Amino acid sequence: MSENKTTETSRKPDNSPARFKVGDRVRVTDLPNMFYSRTQLYARGVTGTIAACTYQDLIPEHEAFNWDGRIEQFYIVRFRQKDLWEEYPYENDTLQTEFPDRWLDPA
Amino acid sequence: MQPAIHIPQNWNYETPGPLYRAYMHPPHDVGGQPDVPVHYEEKEEEQWELNTYVTCEVLGWRGVWNACERRRRADNDLGYTLYLGMPYYGRWIWSAARMLIDKKHISLTEFLEKVAEVKSRYERK
Amino acid sequence: MQKAHEHGGGGHDHKAAPTVEEITDFEILEIAVRELAIEHGLFTAEDHRRFTEWAESVGPAAGSRLVAKAWTDPAFKARLLEDGTNACKEVGVDWAEPTGFGTPSDYMNFRVLEDTPTLHHVIVCTLCSCYPRPLLGMSPEWYRSTNYRRRLVRWPREVLAEFGLILPPEVEIRVEDSNQKCRFMVLPARPSGTENWTVEELAAIVTRDCMIGVALPRPGRTADIHPVHKARRPVQSSSQHERAAG
Repeated sequence: MSENKTTETSRKPDNSPARFKVGDRVRVTDLPNMFYSRTQLYARGVTGTIAACTYQDLIPEHEAFNWDGRIEQFYIVRFRQKDLWEEYPYENDTLQTEFPDRWLDPA
Repeated sequence: MQPAIHIPQNWNYETPGPLYRAYMHPPHDVGGQPDVPVHYEEKEEEQWELNTYVTCEVLGWRGVWNACERRRRADNDLGYTLYLGMPYYGRWIWSAARMLIDKKHISLTEFLEKVAEVKSRYERK
Repeated sequence: MQKAHEHGGGGHDHKAAPTVEEITDFEILEIAVRELAIEHGLFTAEDHRRFTEWAESVGPAAGSRLVAKAWTDPAFKARLLEDGTNACKEVGVDWAEPTGFGTPSDYMNFRVLEDTPTLHHVIVCTLCSCYPRPLLGMSPEWYRSTNYRRRLVRWPREVLAEFGLILPPEVEIRVEDSNQKCRFMVLPARPSGTENWTVEELAAIVTRDCMIGVALPRPGRTADIHPVHKARRPVQSSSQHERAAG
């Protein structure tokens, strides 16, 4: 008995629009952290800037469990390192990482 | 026994909030944890490691699982001890075996008998 | 490790001491999973062979060619920055290979991170070890290590210094944590002293470490030097492997 697999080619783009655009300030949501997430602990609750809109896809918390959920817009968000780490000494350094729409709130 | 406080007890009856959060934390999320300088080395690939990588990818190619599921199983479901203790591709092949059983492609006993048979094949040599 | 034989009296029966030929538990596991999968029709031996062939065909040379081309062809560089996945076809890399819809782990969302004199990128995947295999081949062991994944995001200058790369504080170091389906590669700034170099000469100084961001390309630097842990039973070429698998 094999599971149904949603292949890349069979996914349909979602109807709901991307909530954010490049340059928007966003804060990373901090949902309870159980079983699986690809939203890093170090980024939760931190505010950054949308650096790019990348693609639309299932969120990892669904795809990892073969759950056919809503397809969402993904974004690369840029943070100041000083906002991520309390002790970070260098003013100019930044970090970028990627989140689906639902993991971000307007800041 | 709880060695630190010397009270005989089977297991913890309570988990304080911060400890609960630490226990629930997905093991693969390690960014920002302290660690020490090490010699960053290369590793020559074993034949079994290449085979493992290919098997896992081909299982994805043929729709048996997807890579996101592979990562979830290999990087989280194992638990922190095995996550830190097993070789990188050891986690991959463990997850593939576990997935095949979870999804009812093979039964656990069929799997264990196959492992025993493969082992005896090589022992005879 | 060989134990010394001890010959006792007649009728003494002893097991041979373990030799380096002894199969490991993970090797047994790998064979068991692969054979069961094939027996149950989940994939074929031919599938495995084809994907192995692809896995053995990828390596950092394609990435080096990509960087050298971007350095010498501004129109290509613009295309590369606009649509990384498609631009790779111009150096012979098709992100759809070998399945037609990309590999299960590498997907088809490739993006290049352009360094400038005041911006240096370095790449990590803190959650696992996501890596642009179609362009760079298999990731180095240190890239997969918990150690690198823990430290690079928070102490990038310290980690880069351990790789021998020290940049002044005026240069912005931007860490890219590739935690989803995008795959990244650094497009380093072209170093001085390479004026009028050919594409081949340029590609030779763009090593894998330069494209991860832990090294900078410079004239005369054509290899990444790290200690190498040798394998017990290293990979044999595809054709040998096929014969062994039967």
